[in-house]
Amino acid sequence: MIPAPLLNLAAALPLLIVAGGAFLVLALDLFLGIRASEADRYRKNAALSLASAGVLIVVIGSVASAFRAGGAGEFSPEHPMFQLDRLAAYGIAVICVGALLSTLLSPYYLKEIGVQHGEYYALTLLATSGMILLVGSVDLVSAFLGIELMSIPIYVLAGFDRRKLRSNESALKYFLAGSFASALLLYGMALLYGATGQTSYAGIGAAFDGTDPIGVIGLALVLVGFTFKISAVPFHQWTPDVYEGAPASVTAFMSITVKAAAFVALVRLAVATFGQLAGPLTDVLWALSAATMIVGNLMAVIQDNVKRMLAYSSVAHAGYVLLGLVAGTSAGYEAVLFYVLAYLFMNLGAFAVIIALTHRGHDADRFEEYAGLAKRRPVLAALMTLFMVGLAGIPGTAGFVAKFRVFMAAVQSDASDRMVLLVVIAALTSFVSVFYYLRLPRLMYMSEPGEAAGRQRLSLGEQGVLAVCAAAVIVLGLLPNNGPEDLLSFVRAFDWTREAIAALN
Amino acid sequence: MFDANLLSVVSFLPLGAALLLLALDQAAKSAGSELAAPIWKVGGLAASLVTFVVSLRLWTGYDPTIADYQFVEHTPWLAEWGVNYFVGVDGISVLLILLTTFLQPIVLIASWHDIKHSLKSYVFFMLALETGMIATFAALNLFQFYLFWELMLIPMYFIIGIWGGPRRVYAAIKFFLFTMVGSLLMLVAMLVVYRLHFEQTGTFTLDLVAPPGGALPGLLDTNILPAGDVWWRTQPWLFAAFALAFGIKVPVFPFHTWLPDAHVEAPTAGSVILAGVLLKMGTYGFVRFALPLFPDASVQFAPLVFGLGLAGILYGALVAMVQKDIKKLVAYSSIAHLGFVMLGTFALNDEGLKGAVLQMVSHGLSTGALFLLVGMLYERRHTREISAFGGIAKPMPVYAAMLGIVTMSSIGLPGLNGFVGEYLILLGTFHAAPWVAVAATLGVVLAAVYMLWMVRRVVFGPVEIAENRGLIDLDLREKLVIAAVVIPIIWIGVYPQPLLTRLSAPVGEILRVMEAKRAPSALPGAPPEALQASLAEPAR
Repeated sequence: MIPAPLLNLAAALPLLIVAGGAFLVLALDLFLGIRASEADRYRKNAALSLASAGVLIVVIGSVASAFRAGGAGEFSPEHPMFQLDRLAAYGIAVICVGALLSTLLSPYYLKEIGVQHGEYYALTLLATSGMILLVGSVDLVSAFLGIELMSIPIYVLAGFDRRKLRSNESALKYFLAGSFASALLLYGMALLYGATGQTSYAGIGAAFDGTDPIGVIGLALVLVGFTFKISAVPFHQWTPDVYEGAPASVTAFMSITVKAAAFVALVRLAVATFGQLAGPLTDVLWALSAATMIVGNLMAVIQDNVKRMLAYSSVAHAGYVLLGLVAGTSAGYEAVLFYVLAYLFMNLGAFAVIIALTHRGHDADRFEEYAGLAKRRPVLAALMTLFMVGLAGIPGTAGFVAKFRVFMAAVQSDASDRMVLLVVIAALTSFVSVFYYLRLPRLMYMSEPGEAAGRQRLSLGEQGVLAVCAAAVIVLGLLPNNGPEDLLSFVRAFDWTREAIAALN
Repeated sequence: MFDANLLSVVSFLPLGAALLLLALDQAAKSAGSELAAPIWKVGGLAASLVTFVVSLRLWTGYDPTIADYQFVEHTPWLAEWGVNYFVGVDGISVLLILLTTFLQPIVLIASWHDIKHSLKSYVFFMLALETGMIATFAALNLFQFYLFWELMLIPMYFIIGIWGGPRRVYAAIKFFLFTMVGSLLMLVAMLVVYRLHFEQTGTFTLDLVAPPGGALPGLLDTNILPAGDVWWRTQPWLFAAFALAFGIKVPVFPFHTWLPDAHVEAPTAGSVILAGVLLKMGTYGFVRFALPLFPDASVQFAPLVFGLGLAGILYGALVAMVQKDIKKLVAYSSIAHLGFVMLGTFALNDEGLKGAVLQMVSHGLSTGALFLLVGMLYERRHTREISAFGGIAKPMPVYAAMLGIVTMSSIGLPGLNGFVGEYLILLGTFHAAPWVAVAATLGVVLAAVYMLWMVRRVVFGPVEIAENRGLIDLDLREKLVIAAVVIPIIWIGVYPQPLLTRLSAPVGEILRVMEAKRAPSALPGAPPEALQASLAEPAR
């Protein structure tokens, strides 16, 4: 008899590739040496970004084939901690696409703001590997490892523009608040372990009957930890400062990937462990969702900085995604998965426009800089309008289909009065959001050009990212599931999400 | 073969042409030159003219003896949700689509010299808007309807905001936000109806009616309780959500405040399209969706709608009377006219509904023509103040004659189009609620007062202001534009029969569906007065 292999390397393949890639890029950075001139440094940076893009493309390819094969099983069948099922594969694909696009945006931007350090790409890949660990985790210990591995490189990245006070402040704030949240998360995990004697999701779900107050507090604290990562109210306070202070390419990266990873992990946690506690936890999620939608949207209205506006918009979107979790049905979880995919392209697109306008160390994040942009840069203005309209959830864009799915899942779930009320709150707050999302189009098209800002030339990476995001926003908005009948063929996003959630049952 | 895809062709021809122009422009740009503005103008006009010609087939090919939807196309889109590409027309939509395709080339010609900057974007937005309007009138799937209903806002937002008057940005935002708030609540109500349908039939669909040849029922077959314990499952709440969306668009009296701003600030072409077509989306929504989906609630709410309709008629007329700006006067007259349409719709009888639809078309023509005429005056003098004119019949006799005809049509002079619709509406309303009809008649009188008074002050009397002496009469382009609108104005007034024939079957069908759905659900519910008192809240 041949003993079963102890470790299933196929399951860990994406993790290993990205982590290995991170060290490869770091080594490459050393190997290429220090360059004196700006132009040389830019060339080196571009090479590094291409290398990490290559790594990410390989990972996307490998998880795509794992997805098609129905997953690659558990990394360690004896002690399941990490598994590559379809949900993980979906999450990893979303995260890696986000990381890939933001990596391609970075070299030219970093040159413009004058911080061309090679570690940037290694840190991005390291954070990505943490996210991969998080979305595939079926155990509290590995989930915590994933969260930390994800967060620490991002703390560094947030302060990457180290000569800027804002960037430093951003990093420190994120670090302090993040450590606090991690501590709460860890404490909650400890309590859950104390209550059940288990650390695996499945074990906790089986052993936990929802009556033990220690377990309830533990689960609540774990929820707080995740809530912090998705920046839901009331744990959103760090978001605007960090988003504003961090370099735009970092904000683009973290705003989409961290959120995607945390939501996928939350879906897994919810399915596995919420069972007995579904009632009271739904109450909590209901309140979180309502508060997040209301506060996020109202605060976004009064912002005077584009990045801060997008930060509050990201808070607001977390509220809409939570709506799918409140629904607590397969349709709701599928809607969550679709939402993070749609949000990826819309938000990244918006940041790509900001990055494309950044000039000589100055982020194009003041509203005045967009006045009359349609006259000077018609294509960029049209694209920004598309992304804003998408974020506002106007039909014909990915944002609408995403919202439609969470609304629909919520109305289709148990549909108590409260659920309908929550959807009504969501509808009314979406209305508020139109007000601030239309602010940029209004300035770009209906104001006279002010000071000439921005550079005239777009790098190839920026052009590509903008094109991909715009195409994705439109395709996911009009034909989200109309590709040929094959899971991996061009856009069958609904089938993807359905298969990913089906993997949990 | 041609008929099978006719509606898609008509809907997407303008957008297709717009994208083609854009692609050509980009190609020319990369070749180092640029597509000249006149090419955009001519291209846009050609596209809209071709669309109009093609859409005429809807008129000739429509069989008025059949109540079913015709030119139907049904293709799965997101089939698992019951979202399908489902288009089809009955007489009501045929008339409104033709109104759209007819007005479009006219406004493009009318704005030939009007648009001074960003002409390419203007043509692009106008063509995109046309696609949105036609597709909205043709949609028979609620998802699709909602999609185009909202998408239309974007080009209109830019048309008002970029090429409008001094307060254009404010007007554009107000227009967008007002429409949006109602629409979002309608979306929630749509999802509830969708759920109820699933509970009753076990299938997901957002098709309004059963697709041809399919065994699946449509949303109209859903039985929604007229009253019950769970508020959000009952007709009154769902109706209120739909009615809010449509009522804002119409606009029904307390929701009308966006209209004067949007109409006055929009460029002439925008005003014509707004008044001519976009307002009809609201009344069309009532006729197509709100009435047959929620028949009991429609009956319950009829008195309230009568009240608001009357308020709109009288308020619109009184406010129009004191306006100093001609365009504002026309804008307020729209509120009054649409009040009539609401009365006719909620009379819930054959005459009323037919009159309402006819009035939608008539109002589109006559108010459209009025905005065109105001625009022509504005181009000459750059003011729209009534007091800046006087006696312009002398320098501009043709203009004066045209203004006279259009005014008469607007106030419902027999022999012109306005009369037929208004008469039928009053007749229908009289059957349903005699006193409402009597009070509405006062609105007809007031309309004559403010319109004729305006014409007298602008056109007749001595020429007192020197600048008016040198005014040039309409040139050939302007004559063509206005003649194109005046011909159907007279035609409908003299011989409305072809239109009425096309309306009989669909109107009968809507009333039949309402009656059939009401009969079995004559359940003892809460007393209507108490219900209405509790329902007035969400509508506000």
